[in-house]
Amino acid sequence: MQDARLRLFSVLLLSVACFISIAGAVLTLLWLLLYPVYLKAAVRSKAYYFLLPFTGIVAIVMQLSGEDGLSYFIRMGILLLLGFTVFRGWEPGEFLDLSVWLFGTKTGFDLGLAIEMTIQGIDEASRDWSRVLTAMKLKGIHPGFRNLTSVGFLLIHLRLLRARDQADLLTTRGYQSGGSCCPAFHASNREIIASFCAILILFIALFHVRDIFILMM
Amino acid sequence: MKLILDGITVARGEWRCSADGTFLPGIHLVTGRVGSGKTTLARIMAGVLNPLSGQILREGISSCMLCQQFPEYHVTGPTLAKEAESYGIVAEKALDMAGLTGREEEDPFRLSRGELRRFQIACLSLRDWDLIVFDEPFSALDCKEKQKERRRISTLSSRIVIVFTHEQRYLPKTDYLWEMRDGVLSYLGTVPEALPFWETAPVHVRMLLEKGIIPANLTEEDLLEGLCRMQG
Repeated sequence: MQDARLRLFSVLLLSVACFISIAGAVLTLLWLLLYPVYLKAAVRSKAYYFLLPFTGIVAIVMQLSGEDGLSYFIRMGILLLLGFTVFRGWEPGEFLDLSVWLFGTKTGFDLGLAIEMTIQGIDEASRDWSRVLTAMKLKGIHPGFRNLTSVGFLLIHLRLLRARDQADLLTTRGYQSGGSCCPAFHASNREIIASFCAILILFIALFHVRDIFILMM
Repeated sequence: MKLILDGITVARGEWRCSADGTFLPGIHLVTGRVGSGKTTLARIMAGVLNPLSGQILREGISSCMLCQQFPEYHVTGPTLAKEAESYGIVAEKALDMAGLTGREEEDPFRLSRGELRRFQIACLSLRDWDLIVFDEPFSALDCKEKQKERRRISTLSSRIVIVFTHEQRYLPKTDYLWEMRDGVLSYLGTVPEALPFWETAPVHVRMLLEKGIIPANLTEEDLLEGLCRMQG
């Protein structure tokens, strides 16, 4: 995935499609097969399986209260998968490009910078987490509930230290507000087709398949 | 007691690294250029990373430790005292050894990287390990501290000590020499016999070898003695 604008456009449409109907969710899953590398990485992501049970709990509560919990679980499960897949395909700097393209070099730059720093922070926290686990393993400490507080404290502490370093760096470089950035996007045919498919999927999700056939007749 | 690497391979994209060999008790020096796979291999040896293929056999090894390249990766405690306790050692001893006496309640991340490195090596050397792997133990240290730490590593009571480094000057008293060559771990032999076959040998070692002088070992004292022999 190269063109961040098309990707954002597709994700917005597919998210709506996924949310409103099972057909939309299933077609979104098929759409994700266009990007097998990122989909594979998303399916392997531990964070995905960490979040999925929360959707399951809500689905069970819905089922017990007489609503269609299973449908909710499938739709939300695929919606999460869509988020993880697209996130895997995101390159550093793309949010800044996209934000500047959308909102200009003042508000857009600030917003893009904030998003980039947040994503970088999530990425670093994930790496810190695995480093702390490695250190604990080496020291023979079993990572359990008892150690959760100290690990949490450590991760927040590391994040704050990095935030201070980043603030120092931005100050040193004279950052006050806004900045210059010349976003460049390259859309491939495959991406244009994928975006067109996303429009179709939303269309199918909005109007039930049966209705489309009735209209055609 | 021995560590056996049997057909170990690792791959990351186009990059590949492989290793075979037996590590007996003593000090092993593994050298190689930056990016040659030293850190990856160190992590595999310490059991924190799984190889793509092959197996690691740890015969008679019941305790193992890895001294990671960046000392902050080891921190799990909010204070230096807690950090020392996490290694199962007395905090005062480690702090004294690292020259940080009286700083028990200090946050480990407030230390400079060099101070944290000293503290980490002190914590590691206060326990006996069957296998200890050092990944670039001299990084972030000044010359004086490098000298101190290489002496400490030379006198460790741990059984199998493996030092991965591209340090050229301050090296511990070494028993066995290994080298990473084009992504393959090669055993060169015992020191000093293996020195003539060492491709990435430090410049002063190469200079001595060119003059036909083989130093007794790789410590500064041994190299100085070799230099004296050269001058007659």
